[in-house]
Amino acid sequence: MNAPVRRIVWALLAGFLALVLATTWIQVVAAPEYRDDPRNPRLSAWRVGRERGAIITDDAVVAGRSDPSPVDSQTFTRVYPTADRYAHTAGYVSVLFGSRGLERTREQDLVSHRDSTISGVLNAVLGGDPRPRGIRLTFDDALQQAAVDALDGSRGSIIALDPATGAVLASVSTPGFDPNSLVGSNAGPAGKSLEEDPDLPLLHRTIATTYPPGSTFKIVTTAAALETGIAGPSTEFPDPEALELPGSSATIHNYDDAVCADGRSITLAEAFIRSCNTTFGALGMQVGGDALTATAEAFGFNQEIPYDLPVLASTMPAAVDFADDPAATAQNALGQRDVRATPIQMALVAAAVANDGNIMIPFVVGDVFTHDGKIESTTEPTLWRRAISPATAAVLSDLMEQAVLSGTGHNAAVPGVRVAGKTGTAEVTGSAPYVWFVGFAPVDPVPGERRIALAIVLEDGGPAGETASGGSVAAPIAARMFETYLK
Amino acid sequence: MTRNTEAVFVLAGTLLASVGVAMVQFASGGWLDADVALTFISFALAFGSLHVSFRLWAPNANPLLLPIATFLAAIGSVEVFRLDPELAALQRWWLVIAGVAGAAIVWLLRSSGVAVLRRYRYLFLAAAMVLLLLPLLPGTWPIHGATVNGSRLWVRIDLPFAVRAPSFQPGEVAKVFLTVFLASYLADRSEAMSTISRKVGPFRIPEPRHLGPVIVAAGVAFVVLVYQRDLGASLLLFGLFIGMLYAATGRSFYLGTGLVITGAAGVAAYTLFSHVRVRISAWIDPFADYTGAGYQTVQGLFAMGSGSLTGSGLGLGRPDLIPAAATDFMFAAVAEELGLAGSIAVITGYAFLTTVGFGIALRSRDRFRKYMAAGLTILLGLQSFLIIAGIVRLLPLTGITLPFMSYGGSSLLASALIAALLGRVSHEERT
Repeated sequence: MNAPVRRIVWALLAGFLALVLATTWIQVVAAPEYRDDPRNPRLSAWRVGRERGAIITDDAVVAGRSDPSPVDSQTFTRVYPTADRYAHTAGYVSVLFGSRGLERTREQDLVSHRDSTISGVLNAVLGGDPRPRGIRLTFDDALQQAAVDALDGSRGSIIALDPATGAVLASVSTPGFDPNSLVGSNAGPAGKSLEEDPDLPLLHRTIATTYPPGSTFKIVTTAAALETGIAGPSTEFPDPEALELPGSSATIHNYDDAVCADGRSITLAEAFIRSCNTTFGALGMQVGGDALTATAEAFGFNQEIPYDLPVLASTMPAAVDFADDPAATAQNALGQRDVRATPIQMALVAAAVANDGNIMIPFVVGDVFTHDGKIESTTEPTLWRRAISPATAAVLSDLMEQAVLSGTGHNAAVPGVRVAGKTGTAEVTGSAPYVWFVGFAPVDPVPGERRIALAIVLEDGGPAGETASGGSVAAPIAARMFETYLK
Repeated sequence: MTRNTEAVFVLAGTLLASVGVAMVQFASGGWLDADVALTFISFALAFGSLHVSFRLWAPNANPLLLPIATFLAAIGSVEVFRLDPELAALQRWWLVIAGVAGAAIVWLLRSSGVAVLRRYRYLFLAAAMVLLLLPLLPGTWPIHGATVNGSRLWVRIDLPFAVRAPSFQPGEVAKVFLTVFLASYLADRSEAMSTISRKVGPFRIPEPRHLGPVIVAAGVAFVVLVYQRDLGASLLLFGLFIGMLYAATGRSFYLGTGLVITGAAGVAAYTLFSHVRVRISAWIDPFADYTGAGYQTVQGLFAMGSGSLTGSGLGLGRPDLIPAAATDFMFAAVAEELGLAGSIAVITGYAFLTTVGFGIALRSRDRFRKYMAAGLTILLGLQSFLIIAGIVRLLPLTGITLPFMSYGGSSLLASALIAALLGRVSHEERT
């Protein structure tokens, strides 16, 4: 009666042998694949637990720091005291969700080099400071807070920068998120609900998504006309109620479906100030696809803008794809149809006008400082490109100032400050219009005076919905931004 | 081997546990503290009592049982300490309680022998059934069931003076009671049950009334599966019933019927219950639902792959990233920190223990003792096989503990009871 027991023994021993084989497979053959899988949290856990340098704003508000664990002085917890205010730019390091933002792109500065990797040992032998360095951002905390408050409850983005240096003063994308929620004990469900949120709170709208720029693109169309000499501010255009588009049944209407001036003729300057679509449609067809695309690319379209974070390229279709189609040319000239721009791109358009036609490389990391607080390196302002001539920039600056003084941008006016800007109300199928304001202040500053150029966009008309326009929704936000920074 | 050799090996296992705890402390940048001494004391008390009880009341017991158990428990409790020192403090208490309880069993059976258990078989059956059904008590009662990780296996006792309600998994002890009952039942009936007289078509089947136990076995396993949502315990109980029936009768009919019923129940469970479907799909491709159903399996694979041949070293890996590492996924945690070397040592330990257990069964002259030893060994072997097979994806994942190694009072208690009973049976064979 022992035979069945013996068979059970053999069966179980065969099972244990199978376990040994399966374990050997996992720990030897498949081991490198599992160890190096990007989803294996060990790598990021090792990264997350180390001390990282501080992230502070220009006015010394702490946006990120590492606190030593109370039980183990070797491991650290990343804390973001400003919660959602700098979430997209500063980013986060999370065991489960990896790293983003400056926490990712500036990893080399922020992490400690006190480890046993070859570079860590070399660094220690050569007498380098292994402690993590901190980074100081060019952000102005009060301005950033004003931008966060202005966009509260809407989906959209604000970016403000110093046109003379390219230093980014504020950059907000809403809805935001609290990076602390991705670090804490409840990170799994918190991150999952952020990833599944239809409002896309993790999307960095300022640099990682493009919108039709609408009438703000008229700055580019005007620049093309001025640079090619096809038209000037006083050039007269017909003033119809609607513009027939050759070779197409479509027509172009003005914002209120009326004539812009007296119904007979209108100057380019008046058309710019009133954001007259019929005039700019006609102007676009006169300027032609080649000049439109060339000018847009001079402003940085179709290129990756150099920045501390990766930027999605704004798109202007190649001239060969639309130059033969007058209807498409006219619609592209109005910033509709196939033209798409990131908020940072439109801020650089305004900055070019403010800075004699020159675009500086935008940057947000101003200084890198050592663990002792000594500044180790400072970002030098660097010219990126000459978008337009100083003469063109001067004319555009004047037109944009007029648009705020007596045109569609009058809500952006700030008493005692010379504000220049252009509104935009982009039609988007299936939703309320996306509303824009791009501009800068002050015009013609005295040397040493603070300057700010910005772009504001609100999806779905922001709080105003269907009735929204750039002038009614985005321009007042610009006024608040100018006031906060300049007064 | 003699009792003295056993003492040396038990002491070696005790030192292994203490040195392991010390290594974990060094690895986390700390210095030696009371934990090392407390580990030594708890192991010395737990396995010392078992050893002394063998020495006094079962002097001819197999001397291999305790050294293997000490070795497995040492690796397990070092890893529990590495995962959570607070759990390890509780684990030390559980260990002492389990060891003393095992010793008490040996003392109780000192003069009457295990044969006395045979007489009380229906008491054991009733106790096992009550224990198995305890977790179904409604939540409003002072003693009530609790659902942990989707399975209703736990019982909590609400005491007015206790801050944390003590909780235990009665199923762990119930399966030992069931083994005693089955051994006793089969010792009386195996002759009758192994006569296969009837012919139905080409198949020869036993008398229908002898099919009763098989149907009861399937019933209990299915109730556990349905009401407690516990695939592991259900498979383990069913495997125990079928294994013991086969061991007692030698009739492959029971084995075949068992496999057919397992297959049918598997298909039925797959169609009826979504949690079973989720388990199966997480088994076939755990990466398909990486953040959901497959998460734990994938974390186990990452841990084992990161450990590779020699492991990260005690306290230097990240087994804390695996959900339930101290209980169900103990094997993956050990595999990460001790590498393939450690995993094979652990598997070999269970294979060795299983062989020793069946050796005791084979040498037993009395039916009851033979069946009981075989049943208890099937429990140990099948349980360790099922959970490890789930972790390495040979089988769908079953949430059960690794005997002697996982954190958990009920599990340690059951393991110590099995060791004590096996020791006593082996003693009786040699006297």
